[in-house]
Amino acid sequence: MSNTNIYKPELMEVTDIIEETCDTRTFRLKFKNEEVAKSFSFKAGQFGEYSVFGEGESTFCIASSPTRSEYIECSFKQIGKVTTALKRLSVGDTIGFRGPYGNYFPVDEMKGKNVLFIAGGIGLAPVRCIIWNVLDLRNEFKDVTIVYGARSYKDLVYKRELKEWKERADIKTVVTLDPGGEVPDWDGEIGFVPAIVEKVAPKAENTIAIVCGPPIMIKFTIPVLQKLGFKEENIITTLENRMKCGLGKCGRCNVGNVYVCKDGPVFTYAQLKELPQEY
Amino acid sequence: MEEKIISKENLISFVNDLIKDNHFVVGQDEKAVGWKNIIDAKELRINHGGVPSNISYKEFIFAKTEPIFYFKNKKDDYDLVEKKHDNRKIIFIGAKPCDARSIEIMSKVFNWDYKDEFFNERADNSIVIGTACNYQDEFCFCTSVGLDPTTEKGSDIFLIPLDENNFGFRIVSERGKEFIQPYQKYLNDGNTAHSTEILSKIKNPEKKFESSKVKEWITNNFEHKLFDKIGETCLGCGQCAFACPVCHCFDIVDEECDYSCGRRMKNWDACQFSLFTLHGSGHNPRDNQGKRYRQRIAHKFKYYPDKFDEILCTGCGRCSRGCPVGIDIAAVATEIFNIERSEISLTK
Repeated sequence: MSNTNIYKPELMEVTDIIEETCDTRTFRLKFKNEEVAKSFSFKAGQFGEYSVFGEGESTFCIASSPTRSEYIECSFKQIGKVTTALKRLSVGDTIGFRGPYGNYFPVDEMKGKNVLFIAGGIGLAPVRCIIWNVLDLRNEFKDVTIVYGARSYKDLVYKRELKEWKERADIKTVVTLDPGGEVPDWDGEIGFVPAIVEKVAPKAENTIAIVCGPPIMIKFTIPVLQKLGFKEENIITTLENRMKCGLGKCGRCNVGNVYVCKDGPVFTYAQLKELPQEY
Repeated sequence: MEEKIISKENLISFVNDLIKDNHFVVGQDEKAVGWKNIIDAKELRINHGGVPSNISYKEFIFAKTEPIFYFKNKKDDYDLVEKKHDNRKIIFIGAKPCDARSIEIMSKVFNWDYKDEFFNERADNSIVIGTACNYQDEFCFCTSVGLDPTTEKGSDIFLIPLDENNFGFRIVSERGKEFIQPYQKYLNDGNTAHSTEILSKIKNPEKKFESSKVKEWITNNFEHKLFDKIGETCLGCGQCAFACPVCHCFDIVDEECDYSCGRRMKNWDACQFSLFTLHGSGHNPRDNQGKRYRQRIAHKFKYYPDKFDEILCTGCGRCSRGCPVGIDIAAVATEIFNIERSEISLTK
């Protein structure tokens, strides 16, 4: 019998902090223990349990790409007890991390195909992970299209990277703001994500679509994709549910008999349709 | 299987020996509320003929609350300290079949892929001395979930009340056989035919429902108004989950002692609580009590059997006996089949 405590986190140091919006932050994290740092690996789409000692644990995806293994990044919005405590931290502080948990995006199956990324709001975090994964191996994929939308200009996350993606000639990036959320010198699109996807009209043939964002955005984007000819098994999304253990034990993240923490968080639309509407 | 006999005096001496040998002995308390650590064999109560305790003994395997590690702050760093391991044997005496099975059932969820050492350490060290059950009331339904009052399933040793002064003492598992070696002197040779005859006189409670049919019904009627109706009655107090021998949901929270140290705790939780699945955004996938009750029933009769091939219920009836508003899980499972025919009655 191996005596390893599955609930005990590894210690990580906050090495960089980026203020994405007024309430959203990105942490760059490094393992304090050299050996753990060396043996740690993950795949795009997996998540972890981040903790502030004395406050508790919170679940976020790993927002950095597995192709950049010297650190991990996470983005979070200040919303509850743990995220408020995380927001108080500065560079050099220590947090706890457990992971990686869950399944991942089928990057290998996507090779040789076109990739369409659609994200809304903070939903860009898990997509950013796989965007960089794809961009770091750019030659192995065909056309790459990114459609990202937020409620208003101040809600856009990863602004520097959005600019970088826009400037790159080998990908097509469309950023949109909800009507009324734009600023005077806004040069992107104005409109809701589903409408913009319809306007961009990416071709469905040999294409995998990855869609992450608020449920309402996903709900209206999927019919658009289906109209464009995307098959259900080529539309991939992630489910988020409240989690505590991340290990398939604590009993709260299940949708029907699917544990989001172990069987997910990545699901195809074909799989999602089979689940009871309880997410 | 070996058949022995133990007299009441010998049983008391046996238990005193166990305590002397530094084993952690757990028996039912005097008022049949719950289970406790027995420190003198005189406190021992073999409750084969009485109502099951209000609370099962799962807390001795899956603790109500326990630290998973301690943290200590030192300047820019933290020390994480793990708890000391306790390798004492935990001996449950007088477990009815509906309790005896609980460890095996819960062990599935605590061991798929990731292994919970807190559960396993205690489960591996446990010895279950079960007893045949001579009690039944309108809430019992063990026969509906694949158990019966005389089954040895889950027990390492099985006691059968033979007469005023003697118990049949069946050594059921290898683990039980090994464990009993030092205490052979208290045992006399038994007669299997005699104890089997006694067991055959125990009447099985009536089978109230077919659990596979409950599963099928939930699959096809996930959105049924039945659940809304139960939701209107249910208070969401979580009594059912805490009394249940196999409910295993838990929470992880931090407790601070002062600014520099604290501990992370694993606590019992229940799917009937409204905050259980509440997202940070305010969204709640199970946003009314009906959905939460549906989760409870579906988890027990559909999700767990689908995933682990085991019904997450032993039919002890504690959730129904203790429910402050009288929701009876067996009545719900039974009424499912009467729905088309008549007005639903959910309580007894």
